[in-house]
Amino acid sequence: MPHSPLTRRSLLVGALGVVAAGALSGCVANNGPDPSGAAAGSRADIGEVSGTIRFAFWGGSDGENAGFAHAKREFERRHPKATIELQTLPYDGFFSGIDRGILSGTAPDVFRVDYTSIGKYTSHGVLLDLTPYLTETERSAFLPALADAVRFEGRTYGVPHQTDTTAIAFNRAALREAGIRAVPDRLDDAWTWEEFSDVATKLRRTLPDGKYPFAYDWTAAGAYRWSSFLYQAGGSLLSEDLRHAAVDGDPGRKAMAFTQRFFDERWVPANNTIKTTVYSDNFFLNQTVAMSFVGDFLVPELADRANGYQGGEWTTTYMPRDVAAASDLGGNAVVATRDTEHPELAAAFLKFLVEEDQMRDFCQRANELPTLRSLADTPLDYAVRPDVMDVFTRQATTITETAVRETVVPGFASVNTALQDQLELAFHGRGTDQAVRAVDAAVDAAVAS
Amino acid sequence: MTSATERIGGATASARPPRRRSAGGFRASSGAAATAFLVPNVVLIVVFTLLPLVYAAVISLQDLDSLGGTSWAGLGNYAELVTDPVFWQSVANTGVFTLFTVPVGMAIGLGVAVLLNGVLPGRALFRTIIFLPLVVSGVATGVLGAWMFDQNNGFVDDLLKSLGLPAVQWQSSGGWAMTAVILMTLWQRIGFDMLIYLAGLQGVDPAVQEAATTDGASGWQRFRLITFPLLGPSTFFLLVMNLIYSFQVFDTVWAMTRGGPGYGTTTVVSYAYRVAFDEHGPQLLGYGAAVGIVIYLVTLLITGLQWRFTSGRDQTD
Repeated sequence: MPHSPLTRRSLLVGALGVVAAGALSGCVANNGPDPSGAAAGSRADIGEVSGTIRFAFWGGSDGENAGFAHAKREFERRHPKATIELQTLPYDGFFSGIDRGILSGTAPDVFRVDYTSIGKYTSHGVLLDLTPYLTETERSAFLPALADAVRFEGRTYGVPHQTDTTAIAFNRAALREAGIRAVPDRLDDAWTWEEFSDVATKLRRTLPDGKYPFAYDWTAAGAYRWSSFLYQAGGSLLSEDLRHAAVDGDPGRKAMAFTQRFFDERWVPANNTIKTTVYSDNFFLNQTVAMSFVGDFLVPELADRANGYQGGEWTTTYMPRDVAAASDLGGNAVVATRDTEHPELAAAFLKFLVEEDQMRDFCQRANELPTLRSLADTPLDYAVRPDVMDVFTRQATTITETAVRETVVPGFASVNTALQDQLELAFHGRGTDQAVRAVDAAVDAAVAS
Repeated sequence: MTSATERIGGATASARPPRRRSAGGFRASSGAAATAFLVPNVVLIVVFTLLPLVYAAVISLQDLDSLGGTSWAGLGNYAELVTDPVFWQSVANTGVFTLFTVPVGMAIGLGVAVLLNGVLPGRALFRTIIFLPLVVSGVATGVLGAWMFDQNNGFVDDLLKSLGLPAVQWQSSGGWAMTAVILMTLWQRIGFDMLIYLAGLQGVDPAVQEAATTDGASGWQRFRLITFPLLGPSTFFLLVMNLIYSFQVFDTVWAMTRGGPGYGTTTVVSYAYRVAFDEHGPQLLGYGAAVGIVIYLVTLLITGLQWRFTSGRDQTD
């Protein structure tokens, strides 16, 4: 029987056909949201639930892992017919795995997502619309800014589980040696930019050449934290309708000039830029700097007896302020996937995670900040250095509504990439005006795309 | 006659069919064996090489994001690429990186191979030491490089200062950052160059060397006129492999510098990774695929040119 040999051409053609078919079949979903349309709170009384769902999260610390394990046990105790399978994954590659899972229909039922990434999922319509499962009372129990962080086009797609923000960790002895006697211990007394500049200048004078006054936490994906200076100067990253950049203005120039001074005056190490492998906590841990802007989630790392800060006594104070106080929105929400087979169970678990007792337990274990109004003003018994956590709690009140709206826009990853590229160039010799215009143009292009 | 013919014919008839069956059986069985050997390879090549390659080409014609949101872009990604200054800077950086890693690495590898090919006490140990970095992953090499070249607390600057030399801004100066990446890459790659050249040197006929010595050739003349030309196939192989490695460099660069400072060490692949696969980046899969296809075509072109200009050399040598 004659047969046709397998030639390179036929192999290529066959492969092309298979791929083209696959590509065409793949070009279907996830181009936009598909809300349920059900009225808010219409399914809020979920009742008894059963089944098994998978909850994926990255284990940021032992405290977080313990917090989620505790929540699972308590939920299963309350709902004996329900099982929560915890899936602890590394942070690197976490969202790639989630995206592949969503495309292939194998995503976890529930997963953790940071506020800077949630916009991508809400705008693609791949999350479970939680609006029917939450009453107005439940929704308004969150701090308003954080309740907004999980909303998209008027619908709620997750629960704000915890938040974190930036404050200054500093070495007491270094500041004392520089003649800085008073450090703000109230938010209202936070250093102004001028006062902060004086502090940095004094430290520069007293520190050896190879040591620096401070380091800032804008490395890599933290580039958006530069915006805190913009907000402090009274500006914003985006226009009111979130469709255009708004950096090119007086506040933008002021913020840019101030942050460029960090390098010009050698207040920060020359490699404390955006594209580097050394983060602000690394500079503090290896005692290259006397102060460091750090997130509260890094407190356990700094306080670790074996590998933590070995440079002496350290504590925290507030971010500097200009015409306003401002800080960045950090932290994570928990969301469910739209295609989960157990939407009621997933919704019940999400609501359980943000009950007051559960949130208090998780935040205390993980040294993170709560998102419920009822807990925001309550002193929590943090597992590690509760004495320094009060600063972060109060600093979190300076996360403005503008900061939240701009951080959760669907194209925020592109905006943040634009900031990374342009700030990196701004800190390597660009003039202030040129740098501001370049940031503005890049952010504008990013938000438009 | 008839009977003889019949006999012969019968004999022929009776003798040939078994031979035909045997030949046919052999062909059939060898065909089946060949198929059995071929199929796994063909399947692997199709699944892991051809399909991804063709799929990448298809994706490069789309605006595709990580959650499947897609629209047809035609040649839009390629048009954007041509006018993207960062892409061209990454091409230039990759060119500089290639220029300093390929010839320099091969020259050092050849020198070390010649040294370790002779009678040298502990040469097996030296060979192992020089080869060892090759088994370390590129990421680990990059992390190690980031520690060594840390401009505030790194070993290299401490060493320079102890020698009375000024410290170098390895991480905040584009030129020095590229130098650090090149040095770490050379450290890792020289072992491979040495290994291939050692194998080539073992194949050089000592009789040719002896004849040249008898004819009065000096050591340098023997190396330049006898040894090095006879290492042609090794040089060709290393040139192709090193060019491909250098064009595709990513892991060491990313782990050491993230492509910075500025775009000082952004190579073509690290740029593709950043625009397409960085979880906190824009995740423009179509654009990233277009960059990938360009890398593929350039690599193909380099290999093709080398085959063209050195065709038959490895056979004749």
